[in-house]
Amino acid sequence: MNLTLPETCSTESVATLWREIMPAVSGLGKGDALTLDADGVVRCDGAGEALIVELYRRSAQQGFAITCQDARRIVSRTLGLFDVRRFTEDPAAANPIRNTHTREQLGQAVVKIFADVCEQMAFLGELTASGFSLLVRPGRLRLHDTMLHFERAGIDALPITVLIGFLLGLILAFQSAAALRQFGVEVYVADLIAIGLFRELGPLITAIILAGRSGSAFAAEIGTMKVNEEIDALTTFGLPPVVFLALPRVIAATLVMPILSIFSVLAGLIGGVIVLGSVNVPAATYWQHVIAASSLNNIMLGLFKSAVFGLLVGLVGCAQGLQTGRTADAVGRAATAAVVGSLILITIFDGIFAVLFFLLGV
Amino acid sequence: MSITIQNISKTFGSFQALNNVSLEVPSGGLTALLGPSGSGKTTLLRIVAGLESADAGTGGKILFDGLPVTDNPVNRRQVGFVFQHYALFRHLTVFENIAFGLRVKPRAERLSRDAIRERVTELLKLVQLEQLAQRFPAQLSGGQRQRIALARALAIQPKVLLLDEPFGALDAQVRAELRRWLRHLHDTIHVTSIFVTHDQEEALEVADSIVVMNKGGIEQVGAPNEVFQNPATEFVMKFLGDVNVFHGRIHNDAPVFTDELKDANGVRLLVRPHDLTVQLYPGTGISLPAQVYRVLTAGPLVKIELLNSQNNLVQVHIPHDVYQAMPVKPGQQVYLVPKESRLYGNGNERIEYVI
Repeated sequence: MNLTLPETCSTESVATLWREIMPAVSGLGKGDALTLDADGVVRCDGAGEALIVELYRRSAQQGFAITCQDARRIVSRTLGLFDVRRFTEDPAAANPIRNTHTREQLGQAVVKIFADVCEQMAFLGELTASGFSLLVRPGRLRLHDTMLHFERAGIDALPITVLIGFLLGLILAFQSAAALRQFGVEVYVADLIAIGLFRELGPLITAIILAGRSGSAFAAEIGTMKVNEEIDALTTFGLPPVVFLALPRVIAATLVMPILSIFSVLAGLIGGVIVLGSVNVPAATYWQHVIAASSLNNIMLGLFKSAVFGLLVGLVGCAQGLQTGRTADAVGRAATAAVVGSLILITIFDGIFAVLFFLLGV
Repeated sequence: MSITIQNISKTFGSFQALNNVSLEVPSGGLTALLGPSGSGKTTLLRIVAGLESADAGTGGKILFDGLPVTDNPVNRRQVGFVFQHYALFRHLTVFENIAFGLRVKPRAERLSRDAIRERVTELLKLVQLEQLAQRFPAQLSGGQRQRIALARALAIQPKVLLLDEPFGALDAQVRAELRRWLRHLHDTIHVTSIFVTHDQEEALEVADSIVVMNKGGIEQVGAPNEVFQNPATEFVMKFLGDVNVFHGRIHNDAPVFTDELKDANGVRLLVRPHDLTVQLYPGTGISLPAQVYRVLTAGPLVKIELLNSQNNLVQVHIPHDVYQAMPVKPGQQVYLVPKESRLYGNGNERIEYVI
């Protein structure tokens, strides 16, 4: 194949030439030859140089030979300015993850999940160890920080928790009232709401709110400190980040969850009484049924679950924060991972508790 | 306090960040770890600080004044660490930031309230920022923040001061000013210091001794002048400033620079841009033919870009008066004569030839 470069290799002329010849050039392979005639070139700008470099790059890649008539030394000058060898590398090869096979990606994902679980375990262990060290020296706990996180995760979250709990009770009552009405037992809606909220939905919905509000905030706060090297700075002053940063947050999350959960359940019960009022069940009857259904067992189970969920949210949030990479976008990723991780763990533990309580008969 | 680093290796996954590094840092000096990114300099500094641990089982050791500290946690090593991005605590005032290291000490070692106040005031005076004590870090400029970070590191009276690219995030003018200031500060307090930088100018200007690192190893250790004038390897020569490379080969015990491209017995002649002179006719020693490509007269030196016979770009820096005496035009054929040059063979080590 012969290729004659025009007299003026400018953006316009090269653009048309590029479109015309490139399909043919991509067809060339080993054993083919390209004759490049650059004798007539008078002016050559960046576009022309780009074309020359591209031709040589393809020659190195596809294996065809280039012979070059270069009386004005345009081509050799260009090749002297640009190291063509650097352009022969396949850009895709520099980023191999995108080009791997699905099976490989699946395997990598499994390995990553396993590593994540291991790290989470290690973090739990470290946290437990430092928690026990607090028993010996309670003064090491940052009480002020713990109270601050208690306020942020608890009191600040109260309005949304109450609102969502209320709506949940309302919806639950509506849906079940419609069904139970066919049997004329609307009054049992009260039992359903009380048991459902105390044992299951109250802790679950509160945990989801906590994960979204505070779990992500924990990860983002600690992650930002990590990116800014503040964690390293703390370490140089002899303050282990697990005691100084993670422990107050985890303790606050664990303690605040049962309280928030109670509020959401109470709001849900109020939502229920409004709906049942509209289907002519007297409030007194409703509350009577609710109190009967709210056995100590049910309440304690709910509170226990809440505390565990709170612990999970705090744990995952802080662990993700401390594992944040050193770049700014890592903070966002850590926050996302904290929310997703807590939600998964909350669901898994909820399932485990359901089976466990069933087997224990409580 | 002198620092001894013995056989330290560190791998991150499959990446070898440090490969069996040993180094002596003399007491009271200001040492620069200089190298491109990825050369392991920050990792080495973090290992010295104790923020990172070296690979176990390779027998690596860190000694402070001859005593091993390898297993000591960072707070027992009595090091002050200054971070590239300042790492100031955002919710604390400047005063509280500096006092932080003193306040969180165990009760038995803690100074009294008044003593802390006195010490912080003294440090603020040292970094010349007394008037900013009640500000928050966000209200300070980058240079001021870094000085506060330095004061915070010095508050705990460290035996060793470690600085990780302390001026990396600052603009050129502030950098230059802080460089002088750091040198002055070190002359005042004389604490053994190591600082990491990728800026060769910074290292040459500030440090007492320079450690040039590359690919997890040490290329050369020496005083700034020695490293600059006598680069031990081709890498050091290239890293410490602009360099022109000419390929040639050894012929009859003398290097010849022809049109031929690199071959197995090839040698490389490295010349700094200001060590080349431009002549219109070939001289008696080495003179390399080249064609003028571009002439830049703006700036303290005239920069001439040329293409040599192998079509590689060559840079020459000459003073304005020299250029005025013999101006050249683009396209003109000239000869380049090196005043000072260094020859390297295939092994990266410098080779000597009488030229």
